[in-house]
This record gives sequence, structure tokens and C-alpha cells, in this order.
Amino acid sequence: MTVRPNAITMRRRRELIGGAVLLVLLALLPLPIANAYLRGLIVLTLLYAGLSQGWNILGGYCGQISLGHALYFGIGAYASAILFTRYGIPPPLGMFASAALGALAALLVGWPCFRLSGHYYAIATLVMGMMVLLLAQNWGFVNAAMGITIPFRKQSWVDLEFRIAVLPFHYLMLAYAAIAWAIAWVVEGSRWGFSWRAVKDDVAAAESLAVRVFPSKMAAAAISGAITAVGGALYAQYVGFIDPDSGLGLSLSVLIALPAVVGGVGTLWGPIVGAAVLIPVQQLSVAWLGGSGNGVDLMFYGALIMALALARPQGLVSLFGARSRAGGEVADRA
Amino acid sequence: MVDIGRRSLLGGATAGVAAGTLAARARAAAAPDIVIGAVYPLTGNAAPIGHDAQIALALEADIINGHYDVPMLLGQGGGLPALGGAKIKLVFADSQNSPQIARTEAERLITEEHVVAIIGSYTSATAVTISQICNRYEIPYISAENSAPSLSQQGLSWFFRPSPTDFDFSKSMFDFFAAIGKKTGRPVRSVAIIHENSVFGTGSAEIQAALAKKAGIKVLADISYQASTPSLAVEAERLKAANADVVMPSSYTSDAILLVRAMHDAGYAPKAILAQDAGFIDPAFFKAVGPLGEGVMSRSSFAIDAVEARPAIPKVNAMFQARDAGKNLNDLTAREVTALQVLADAINRAGTTRNTALQAALRATNIPGNQTIMPWVGIKFDATGQNTEGNPVIQQYQNGVWHTIFPFDVATAPAVWKVGT
Repeated sequence: MTVRPNAITMRRRRELIGGAVLLVLLALLPLPIANAYLRGLIVLTLLYAGLSQGWNILGGYCGQISLGHALYFGIGAYASAILFTRYGIPPPLGMFASAALGALAALLVGWPCFRLSGHYYAIATLVMGMMVLLLAQNWGFVNAAMGITIPFRKQSWVDLEFRIAVLPFHYLMLAYAAIAWAIAWVVEGSRWGFSWRAVKDDVAAAESLAVRVFPSKMAAAAISGAITAVGGALYAQYVGFIDPDSGLGLSLSVLIALPAVVGGVGTLWGPIVGAAVLIPVQQLSVAWLGGSGNGVDLMFYGALIMALALARPQGLVSLFGARSRAGGEVADRA
Repeated sequence: MVDIGRRSLLGGATAGVAAGTLAARARAAAAPDIVIGAVYPLTGNAAPIGHDAQIALALEADIINGHYDVPMLLGQGGGLPALGGAKIKLVFADSQNSPQIARTEAERLITEEHVVAIIGSYTSATAVTISQICNRYEIPYISAENSAPSLSQQGLSWFFRPSPTDFDFSKSMFDFFAAIGKKTGRPVRSVAIIHENSVFGTGSAEIQAALAKKAGIKVLADISYQASTPSLAVEAERLKAANADVVMPSSYTSDAILLVRAMHDAGYAPKAILAQDAGFIDPAFFKAVGPLGEGVMSRSSFAIDAVEARPAIPKVNAMFQARDAGKNLNDLTAREVTALQVLADAINRAGTTRNTALQAALRATNIPGNQTIMPWVGIKFDATGQNTEGNPVIQQYQNGVWHTIFPFDVATAPAVWKVGT
């Protein structure tokens, strides 16, 4: 196989066309749906598709399983919310700060943690996330445990505030998920993409082939952190409130990783497919079964994830014949 | 109604008239139900609270709809008189204690279930997102027991809170200190604040520290801890070293138990404990600490012993006990009952469920305290939707029972006051 980095192969061309078609379909999707609740569901699904794509770059392609991505999400959400509510900087600008801080945070976490591997790395990211959660709960500047409310003032694209219309958020989240996907598409075929897959398969072998392991991990972390942080900023604007538990909690780290894991780790389509299955199921089960308060919705949701993990350990995308680009081919030939 | 309209278009004039008469007849037979949403944490760590809230709200709906003849506003039953005896129908949604899910579920209740108002939500974080969504859709949000003062300062015009806020609660503690000091000649000169570090404890401690400063009372310690901590031994030692006149904890249940036991183990018996409700009023707390709970004081917005001034309490409490495994009404469930009562009264006075009429009726709310089960002066909303007549009480656990000890005019027992002795 002599694929050069950045070469547009047939397969990558097909992916690009598939992505464009999906983008158009998703852009049209809410138009026939008048129901605000269902539209809201799609908004959340798109958000998690983007977030999980961000996680996928580090956790999927590069194989560094992070259980602390809520950290970057929270940093992004807080950065944009604080810039907006205290300094009047509109969120579209604040998001750049979010992306920069998210990338920086990922580099800071990566610096010590990438010296660990496997489970040790996963545990270290989890601990980092918990540390920042505790810090945020006690740090007055970010309103400690009280959280930050983003008050609705007026309908405005500059402030990303919309009264009832879910539609603007649909297009915002769609743009976000699309950009996250496009970034994944680009890096997947880049030299970094090749390095990441090599690192994921076998660090020693990668090093022997002159792959610069540590820098390539750091690059994956920075891109991943930046994407996740921008998602956090969009979330804060959509929900209108951010506090340590909802922005930095451990369960959020899992929620960010889950769509990619269920959909297919290290695949271009995995996060989207995973989010499209998990988020509607989760939200609809709350709506239909949650009112009784007996937890049936959570059991149902948990059972579904277990069933998917058992039936399709390679992820849902394997149903469509797509194979993980992250080492799948190598493993097949071995 | 939409259905009828479509049919009359399709089927011509005759069918239209027939459908119209049918609808009118149906309306005369039974007024349509009034659908009210309730968003609570029904699963997760706060699920027991949500479970109780469900029972409390369903109980009040039952009192309004049925025929129980409870001596309070709308206690005569038979539905809402001004709406032809319309019945209250509750639709519950689970927030899982997540602000995002609370937001989504509130939106679903409004757009799918067509609720006329939403009641909620126990935690302040979920109240922020629910109240914002309600404001955008222009339907009232009745905050039953969210106590963060900031909620009524969001500039929302559809937010109404009959309950006192954390500021009112802490202020009543310092009012109590001043009053009891004057009465006994043994004033409070110092306090030690200890609080869990989430919204509840942090907010409470901040207000207490500010009020102490204002009252010229020294804060000898201000300790924060994580509610899930396995031990509070170090914190107990610090409290012992501070040895303030009053220990002021803001704790949930398990940490309240740990704290009281740890102080005991450290050989420290504070002269007075004045708690911010929550864990310290949980029956599980007294079960766990036994005699160490004796003499503990707490603020409350509900006084179950105020039966003389609030004649509805025994009946409502008995009904609640029958539905919730023998539990008494507490500070939370009593406020939930009252929140629905306040909303139903406004709907009844509005005579319609139209949102603007309902908002106007809520703003004009004026319910005297004795028409409720709360020890408050009454219920009257200011421009921010905050009740201005919801004064809290201070209670003390004496011989295994809560007694109201302040304000003195509604007190059912004198305070056991050891400060300065």
C-alpha cells in the first residue's frame, strides 16, 4: 500500500461526497419538522456528534483513551460564557478564545500524561478532570458552585441568542458537527493521521519508523481539545447556564466519548452514527419513561449500550462495512 | 378544537354546526382539565426528593379536584369554581438533576403536553434553565423550593416564587440571634460556619458571613468540604479549636451525620448548632445520631406544629402520611403543596388559562397565611416574582420533636439557649 499523505484516494473522495450529501440532508431535515421538541433533539444530537468527533481524534485515531474531555468542554463553555456575560464579547468571537484555551489545556494535560500509556493514561485524564472540577467548584472567579447564567436579552445572531426558534441553533450545531467532521477528514489523510494510527498500533514499531510519537500525540490532543471546547461554548449558549457539575462532571466525559465508542472508534462516521442513535434514545426514553421516576429509562439506555457493545464491539459503522482506519487494515493482514 | 375546525371545512356547514354543538355540550358536561407540568429529579442522587415532590403535588391536586374539605384556600374541593369545576392534571418530567435535561424536558412539556405552567424543581441549577425556557415561551414558572436568591434577579417576567430565599433564611437566623440575645441577655458574639461546597452550601455560607459582619458577630471559622467526603474529623477539630458560640452548618444528610459524630468524637459539644435545613432536618439524620441530635436548631419555612394558627395542617399531613409511607410533611413537601395551591388560585382568579391573564393573576396574588399550611404572613409577589411575605421560622429539636422557637409570636416552645452559660 503506497498511499501518500494528503492524497485524495477514491475512498476519500467517496467519503467527502458522502459527507456533503449528509450535510445537505441534515440542513433540510428540520424544515418538515414543526415540533420544537424534536428539533431540539436534533440540535443535541448534532452537538454530541461534533463533541464526540473531537474526542475521536485523540481517543480514536491516536488511541489515547481520554476520560477527561469534560475538562476541555468546561473550559470552552466557561471561557465563552465569562467573556460574554462579564466583558460583552459576543460568543462567535469568544469561541476562538475557547478553542485556544481548550487546545492549551489539552497540551498541559498531555505534557505529563502522555508519558503514561494505556489504562494509566486514561486514569490520569480522569483525575485531571476531577481536579479541575474541584477547582471550579471553589473558584470565585467562575462563580464557584453557583455557575454562570447567560441571561436572554434579545434575539441576536451576534450574541447567538434566540428566543424560541430552535432553527438557528440547528444550523450552528450542524456547522459545528460539519467542521469537526471536516477536520477529522483532513487529518485522517494527513501525515499526522498516519502517525497517529502508527502510534495507536504499536508505539515501539512507530518509533522505529521515525514517527515522532510525543509530538504527534500532542498535536492530536490540541486539535481534540479545541474542537471539544468550541462545543462547550455552543452548549453554554444553547442551554443558557453552566456550572461545574454540568460542564466539568465525570459523566459528561463519558457522554462525550460514548457516541464515538458505540458508533465506531477511530472512524470518520462513528461519532455521527453513535450520536444519532444514543442521543435520541436517551432523551426520548427520559421523555417517555422518565416521568414515572422508577428509572426504567436509565435501565433501558444502559441495556441498549451493553447490547450494542456486545453485538458490535467494532462499533455500529461496522454494520455498513466501514472498517476502522485506525489500524483495522493492519490487523486484518497480520 | 383544531380537529373540529378541519372537519367543518371538509364536511361543509352542516357537519360544522353539528361539531360545534357537540363541543359546546362536552364543555358543559365537564370543563377540560388544566394541565400543569412539574419537573423534578426523579432519578439519580436527588431522586428521593423528587419522589416526595410527586406525592406532595399529586396530593394538592387531589385536594383541589376531590372533596376532602380541607380548611384552606381551594380546600373545599370540586375543581376550580371559576372554570366550571375544571380539574388539575399534573404531568411529571424527570430532570435527572441535569440543567440540560431539565431544559429539554421543560420545552417538551410546553410544546408537546401544552402545560399552562411549570412547577419545579428542587435544585437551583435546573431552575435556571427551566425558568429561562418558561420565560421564552411566556408561561409561568412557579418555583416551589428553589432557594438561590439569584433566581429572582434574572429579570424574568414569568418567574414566581412563593418560598423564601436563602437570603431570607439566613437573615432569619441573625434576627433570631439578635432577639434571643436581647431576651436572655446572652447574645451571640461569634459563629463558626461550615458548609458543603456545592451551590447550596457555598451560597448559604457567603450570605451568612456577610450578615455576621453586618451584625458585628465574629466569624471564627469558615470551612468548606465536599458533601461526599468520607470523614470530617479534621473539620471537627478546627471547629473545636474555634469554639464559637454557634456552629452554623449547611450540610446534606450523610455529611451532617458525619459532622455531628466527628464533633462528638473530638470531645466537642457546641453550645448551639443552627443549621441551614437540608440534612439536619432529614429524619435519617436523627436516626443515625440519636441523642446527639438533641437541641439542634434549624431554619425552616414550614412549621408542622403551628396547627393552631394553620388549621389545615393536620388534615393535609394525615393525607400525606397515608400516601408517602407514613412520612410527615417537611419543609420541601409543604412548599410544593403550597406552590400548586398558589398557581391554582391564580388560574381560578384569572378564569382562564391564557398566559397573559394568568401572569396578571399571579402578580395580583394576595393569600393570607392562614389560608395555607405555611407559617408565613402570606403570599404577595413583588416585581421580580418573589414572595414578600414568606418569613421563615427557627425550630429546635427538643425531646425528639421539632418545636418552633422563633418568631416568638408563633413559637410553640421556648428555646433551649446555652450560649453564654
